Amino acid sequence: MEEKKQNPIKKFLSARGVGQVVTVLIGLVILCAVFNVINPNFLRQRNVANLLRQIAPWIIIGIGQGYVLITANIDLSIGSVVGMSCMIIATLICNGAHPVPAVLVALVASLATGAVNGTLVANFKLPPFVATLGTQTICRGVAQLVNNNMNTDGITGAKFGAAAKAMTNFFYYNKTLGIFNTFWIALVLWAIFNFVLAYTRTGRHLYAVGSNTEAAKLSGVNVSLTILKAYMVSSFCAFVLGLVVCAQTGTGTTNAGMSYETYAVAASVIGGISTMGGTGILSGVLVGASVWAVMDNGLQMIGTQVGLKNVVVGLIVIGCVLLDVVRRTGRLGKRKS
Amino acid sequence: MEQYKGQTIVELEHINKSFPGVKALDDVHFHLRSGEVMALLGENGAGKSTLMKVLSGVYQKDSGTIRIFGETVENMNPKRAQEMGVAIIHQELNMCQHLTVAENMFLGREKKKGLVLSQREMNVEAGKILKSLAIDLDPTTMVGSLKVSMQQMVEIAKALSTNARILIMDEPTSALTEKEIEEMFRIIRQLRDEGKGIVYISHRLEELQHIVDRVTIMRDGRYITEGNFADMDMSTIIANMVGREIKEKFPRVHCEKGKKIFEVKHLNAGRMVRDVSFSSYEGEILGFAGLMGAGRTETTRAIFGVDPKESGQFFLDGKEIKINKPMDAIRQGVVLAPEDRKRDGLCTKLSIRSNIELPNLDISSNRVGVVNRRKVTQMVAKAKENFSIKMPNDEVDAGSLSGGNQQKLVVGKWLARDSRVVIFDEPTRGIDVAAKVEIYNLMNQLKQQGISVIFVSSEMPEVLGIADHIIVMCDGRITGELDIGEATQEKILELATRFENKIATGAAGA
Ligand SMILES: Nc1ncnc2c1ncn2[C@@H]1O[C@H](COP(=O)(O)OP(=O)(O)OP(=O)(O)O)[C@@H](O)[C@H]1O
Ligand SMILES: [Mg+2]
Repeated sequence: MEEKKQNPIKKFLSARGVGQVVTVLIGLVILCAVFNVINPNFLRQRNVANLLRQIAPWIIIGIGQGYVLITANIDLSIGSVVGMSCMIIATLICNGAHPVPAVLVALVASLATGAVNGTLVANFKLPPFVATLGTQTICRGVAQLVNNNMNTDGITGAKFGAAAKAMTNFFYYNKTLGIFNTFWIALVLWAIFNFVLAYTRTGRHLYAVGSNTEAAKLSGVNVSLTILKAYMVSSFCAFVLGLVVCAQTGTGTTNAGMSYETYAVAASVIGGISTMGGTGILSGVLVGASVWAVMDNGLQMIGTQVGLKNVVVGLIVIGCVLLDVVRRTGRLGKRKS
Repeated sequence: MEQYKGQTIVELEHINKSFPGVKALDDVHFHLRSGEVMALLGENGAGKSTLMKVLSGVYQKDSGTIRIFGETVENMNPKRAQEMGVAIIHQELNMCQHLTVAENMFLGREKKKGLVLSQREMNVEAGKILKSLAIDLDPTTMVGSLKVSMQQMVEIAKALSTNARILIMDEPTSALTEKEIEEMFRIIRQLRDEGKGIVYISHRLEELQHIVDRVTIMRDGRYITEGNFADMDMSTIIANMVGREIKEKFPRVHCEKGKKIFEVKHLNAGRMVRDVSFSSYEGEILGFAGLMGAGRTETTRAIFGVDPKESGQFFLDGKEIKINKPMDAIRQGVVLAPEDRKRDGLCTKLSIRSNIELPNLDISSNRVGVVNRRKVTQMVAKAKENFSIKMPNDEVDAGSLSGGNQQKLVVGKWLARDSRVVIFDEPTRGIDVAAKVEIYNLMNQLKQQGISVIFVSSEMPEVLGIADHIIVMCDGRITGELDIGEATQEKILELATRFENKIATGAAGA
């Protein structure tokens, strides 16, 4: 017990989830260096700017999925909520609505989905896998229904075209301080939710519920409310990404966000947020999302086939989870003295 | 400083509580005064934990009155109970492994400034509480990295950090070592002298004399009697708990020592199992004594093939057998009733029936794998009868049984097969006196049938009372063997503390 105070670095690394983040961060730096050796354009300014914008979506939904995973649940409806949010906004704008109310309607629909997910899991005790699989299908259905199963026309050509144009620029095409707004949006969201997770009572309760629901309940934590909050955050993040996707494409596509929930899991898990709950920090999502996007972008730049890229990225996800499991069981299996 | 000393602070009257199929509490009455330690006694399933859960708001009563400090509380919940000064340490550990000691202690009532948690303040305060209890622990340590006994201490510290005036301890000592129990008793006395009311639930009747002032006894969900501990003798207490008299606490049957059945040679498996060799004979119960963390559980796990071993040979009836996984052991007639019933012993979400069925599927199903329901029903009936397992029916979840009845089930499920070697790891932990005797009788029965019984226990009286030959372990090694004729508590303790130099002092694990 005496060493405890002597080694601040060791202590920092053993703090909640930091170890995995640092390990993966080192991996990320090596990865970037390797890509840059193979193709020197990789770290040129133009590509870096693009890269940051490609990271943003995975940060945004990685935050949401991370919240839910920390409570030892999962949200499979994220991708569909992205699609639903995108389709609602685009359809309303194309039918002559101003972007502001259109976005608000999408927000309400998304939050409602989060509330339903949370209630089904927390109050009706449905397995999260099944409950959110259900809402996944429903939300995709809504995304298809709103415009009769068709993609919408361009939103900039609608009645409030100018406002729509401003929206697309703000959320996707414009830069602030040399960096695309999309990345800033992701960063702001991250800062807010990281603060909540690390420094507030709600955050502490999210960890407690994921670590040991029974213990949390017996300590007077409102478990249902905590799980509900996690799902609401997740759906909110999905809504934001839906808005970004709508701004990017300038139309609503019925299959927008398809299978994004798994990418969100990947971003969280690579960054050390365990699917078993109770561990991980939101900085992990930043790193995880970066690994994901860097692999995507880098493999493309060095001319790898899409199929091969998918195989490699899949292997990385499994590798990171294995790393996490080894670290955890290494600690649990041999109880240290 | 306490003017309330001796005043009645908890009054439970006519409490009723039913679960599907069980009337757990039937018109129960319970009083607690300040400045006293009240023992709540009763057999497994008597309703002790349920009553205390009603008091602390975990369960809602069906009817009855709860009065705390004279105030009648209609809708109790954990938060309300906490506010009124009721703290409970549950029978099962309830810690968040991924949170630190301080975070666990303040869970649900975190301190904050504005929106932000005051982490530093909570750490400091947690440190103070730990220090006042003389627990040497850094509040920023992750709870998951602590030994079970230390986690138990953290539970106590957590309960105290709420400024509890009524402290309920549900079998707090079942996972602690002698020294830690001493430590806890010191804390309990300290709290009592401060005027707190303490409810103490335990099946270790011999430890009551050190701390208990009064006793309340329950049986079958009913209130039986209460009184001063000093005015009651042990046999009255036991008779009230069980409803009949128990003649012998340690029934012993004598058998001729026969031929060698099972032999282990030079078993090595990690640090906690080093060069372990022993033999067991027909007509003999082989006891494994030692302190907690001596490597006995690890030894049983290595024999049963759960944990990998580095080297070692096993001989059954003179023939060498290979055991690399539990299935090998079971097939050859070596079975284990493990220590941690919730984690290793039972599938708590499966029914009682399924739990008994599971390890016996090979003998209860035909060649294609179809299970013979009649055979299973017979097995269940046999286990139920042999152990008088208290259950509404065999389809309820194993997890809903009381602690002691779960333990009986762990042992009971192996009964259906013809085994050659049965290893019991702490089979009586958390079990009431009557059930203990049943388990001893079962071991005796196996011994008479010529089955080798290996019995691991940290409680010296029962090892001395039941085993015929005793092996003592310390720090992963066998430090001595004693025949029952020559064994005494002192000799065992001496062997159990024969550490090698000083390396061993930090050893953890159970
Ligand atoms: N959650 C539950 N659901 C169904 N039945 C339950 C539940 N909790 C307890 N019971 C039943 O209520 C009865 C009383 O159980 P309780 O746990 O209070 O006993 P206990 O006196 O604490 O026993 P032990 O000494 O073994 O811990 C038992 O028959 C048990 O099976
Ligand atoms: Mg109990």
